[in-house]
Amino acid sequence: MNNQAIVSARDIRKIYGHKGEKQYEALKGITFDVKAGEFVGIMGASGSGKTTLLNILTTLDQPTQGTVEINGQDITSLKGNAVADFRAKEIGFIFQDFNLLENLTNSENIALPLSLQNVAAAEIKPQIEKLAKQLSITGILDKYPNEISGGQKQRVAAARALVSQPAILFGDEPTGALDSSSTTDLLEMLNEVNQQQNVPILMVTHDPLSASYCQRILFIQDGKIGQELKRGGQTRKQFYKQIIDDLGAFQGQEAD
Amino acid sequence: MLRKLAFTGIKSRLRDYLVLFTGLVISSAVFYMFEALATNPQFLKNSTNGMSAASFIFQFGSVLLTIISLVYIFYANSFLLSMRQHDYGIFMMLGAKPTKIGRLILTETLVIGALSSVIGVVVGCLLTASLGSYLMQSILQTNVANFHAVHVPAILVTLVLYLVLFVIAGFINRRKLIKTPVLGLLKGDSQPNRAKLKPVSQFIQVVLGIGLLAVGYYVMKHFIDFQLASIPLALVTIVFGSYLLFNAVFVWLVVLLKKTKWAQRGINNFTLSQLDFRIRNYTKILATVSILFALALGAITVGMGFGKETDLFTQGSSGYTMALEDPSAAVKKQVNKLDTEKKVSYSEKQSKDTVYYVKEEFDRIPLQDVSDNWMKKMSKGKKAKISYQSFDGQKLQKNPGSLYYLQKNGSDKTVKIISQSEFAKIQAPRQQLYLFRVKNIEKSKKSLDKIVKTAYPKNYETIRSTIPGGYAGYLNGLEVFGGFEFMGFFLGIAFLAMLASCLMFKILSGANSDKHRYEMLNKLGVRKNTLRRSISREIMTLYALPGVLGIVHVLFGLQLFKTLLISPYQGIWLPFVIFIVLYLLYYLVTVKLYESIVLPAVEIDK
Ligand SMILES: Nc1ncnc2c1ncn2[C@@H]1O[C@H](COP(=O)(O)OP(=O)(O)OP(=O)(O)O)[C@@H](O)[C@H]1O
Ligand SMILES: [Mg+2]
Repeated sequence: MNNQAIVSARDIRKIYGHKGEKQYEALKGITFDVKAGEFVGIMGASGSGKTTLLNILTTLDQPTQGTVEINGQDITSLKGNAVADFRAKEIGFIFQDFNLLENLTNSENIALPLSLQNVAAAEIKPQIEKLAKQLSITGILDKYPNEISGGQKQRVAAARALVSQPAILFGDEPTGALDSSSTTDLLEMLNEVNQQQNVPILMVTHDPLSASYCQRILFIQDGKIGQELKRGGQTRKQFYKQIIDDLGAFQGQEAD
Repeated sequence: MLRKLAFTGIKSRLRDYLVLFTGLVISSAVFYMFEALATNPQFLKNSTNGMSAASFIFQFGSVLLTIISLVYIFYANSFLLSMRQHDYGIFMMLGAKPTKIGRLILTETLVIGALSSVIGVVVGCLLTASLGSYLMQSILQTNVANFHAVHVPAILVTLVLYLVLFVIAGFINRRKLIKTPVLGLLKGDSQPNRAKLKPVSQFIQVVLGIGLLAVGYYVMKHFIDFQLASIPLALVTIVFGSYLLFNAVFVWLVVLLKKTKWAQRGINNFTLSQLDFRIRNYTKILATVSILFALALGAITVGMGFGKETDLFTQGSSGYTMALEDPSAAVKKQVNKLDTEKKVSYSEKQSKDTVYYVKEEFDRIPLQDVSDNWMKKMSKGKKAKISYQSFDGQKLQKNPGSLYYLQKNGSDKTVKIISQSEFAKIQAPRQQLYLFRVKNIEKSKKSLDKIVKTAYPKNYETIRSTIPGGYAGYLNGLEVFGGFEFMGFFLGIAFLAMLASCLMFKILSGANSDKHRYEMLNKLGVRKNTLRRSISREIMTLYALPGVLGIVHVLFGLQLFKTLLISPYQGIWLPFVIFIVLYLLYYLVTVKLYESIVLPAVEIDK
């Protein structure tokens, strides 16, 4: 595994509110890297700035200060169409509420990122079939999103995020709306994608079980990175325990 | 507490409310303006024969306008409900009693309705004072000095009608809100109403739709055979035909297009799916709009057809603009200043029952009259330059008809053409029949009026419209046809404004539930321009379909007027162009408003 950074965030600050209005500093200088092939988790109390950070990393929002490079490209200086194209080509997204378009079939949903890059229909089809097989959603491709379960929806969303072979996959609580068995399924699948295709994943989560699939966890506290936890050689079970312990200590410390 | 919450809800969507409010104000203002013109006694008294027919047409127009206002308020109201249902859904989820919510929405609808009607009437008064009198002056050329813009009966009619409509609308809203389950309110119309291809039933619908349209068009073409039954018959068949056609063909088209390569590119597939998503909800309004479109366009076309008829009437009614008897030097001086094509004078002598003319004078300068050939060509709808035929002395002796038309009104004397020597023997003062023809009556209107005033200062008002020649024909034509033209224009524009707003509100009502889809596409990395293109294509389709069908309706509908108008299809492009330009404007406004609702804002603010 090489050690090249796919994401490198430097001293990111985010202040909400215009000058002269009431302002709120949600991020107070965040610096970290995500290396090729890493599976990184971000945890933190509600309101600590996780979504804010993810929005900045995915070009949905701009930092007030600091730089973000993804795959060697400074994304904070991108403008207009370049932002949209970057989003379409370089990153994949999985959201808590799936964000599937309910007026397209599942396979049309998955095809969308490729259609956007004007890939020929003949080329799109085999790619979808391959992904569908991998994510076991072949049987539901021609259905509409409102005809399938939450767990299935999230796999479709994952397929859509992966189809354009992004440099990195982002998730904002992707398991937040799933029951425990669907959660495990999805995480196993993400893990597989991460291991076999070497796609780095950065995922925000509240859930220690989800977090235990990561190799490294960043805890955000009050807009800063408070602590970092590494799985190292531990099994997933051991790591899970460590997260729970740490979370307890972390939250206890916060409560003081 | 709830009241306060409701108010905050309104404040946060002020712009959408403004659109709704403006639409309602315009609607009631137009209605008032129409009523004020149609029922103003000054206006009706002022005009002579033509207006009794016009006043009937005004009443007919008023009924049509009421119907379309009803449809309009219905759509505006569903837009209002779509803006509010999410908020009210949340209140209900939090435990607010349905009856209380019902009362809130009822109050809200009524307050908006009452406010907009009152403001609408005020705006209507201003419009009537400015635009209304201008229209009357320029098209009808009537004297509007004693015309009042503020007309109490019209105010009452407008207010009562609109308030009643809003009370009904309020109760409909209340019912809908209470009857819809809370989850339905929260989710809006995101429940897909997907079109499914049912080939057999669709085939039957297409055949039936085309069949009904054919019947409707046939009835209009053979209007004479069906008499009065033709209008309701045509309306019913065309309405249902349009509906079936939209229902079947639209679905088919979308499904077929989705299978093409084109659909696989960019977000074309999404655009098609957007169209197909709420397709069933749109077929009704599309069919309605196509009919209204046809009515509006038809009104303008026919109105302008009548307006054109004035010119034909004028040009074709006589070989000369005016025939004057013994004009004074002052009158002749004024005529000389005109842009005339022909000027001639013939000697005449009058006995008790006969008017004599000199044959040799006509041999030297023949009398002219409009040629029959020209009339024939015109009535076939061919555009032909007006042509004249000449009558020399001999021809006139055989058939003095053309000279009869140039005699002073009310004269029942015989006309005789005699030789110079015979003429000299007649014991009567020698007089002069002075004839002239101007190049363009409309342009010379003021000067012609002055000539009549100078020649007949005493009873100018009555002589003006009876003086022999094309000028009087022109004035009469103006009253009759100008009235029709005015009506057609007014109704056409009013219809268009309301129907386009209906479509606009229907589309914008959906925008709120489309919003999250556009947000998703934005997150997926779809360029703003691509989103814009998709939106404008989608809305373009929704506007174009009823427009095209409406135009076809009008082209066939004009058959109805073949008996009334000399050439209903001549110069048809002009009203079409005016109409399409206005319709396009509405389209652009809808696109802009829709974009402002669904497109995510750019959030960069360093
Ligand atoms: N648009 C905004 N304007 C002003 N303040 C904001 C805005 N968005 C977020 N904030 C504030 O910034 C802080 C961080 O918000 P953020 O959404 O990133 O939290 P989070 O860590 O994702 O929380 P959660 O776990 O509840 O999702 C919060 O205090 C929030 O109130
Ligand atoms: Mg969050």
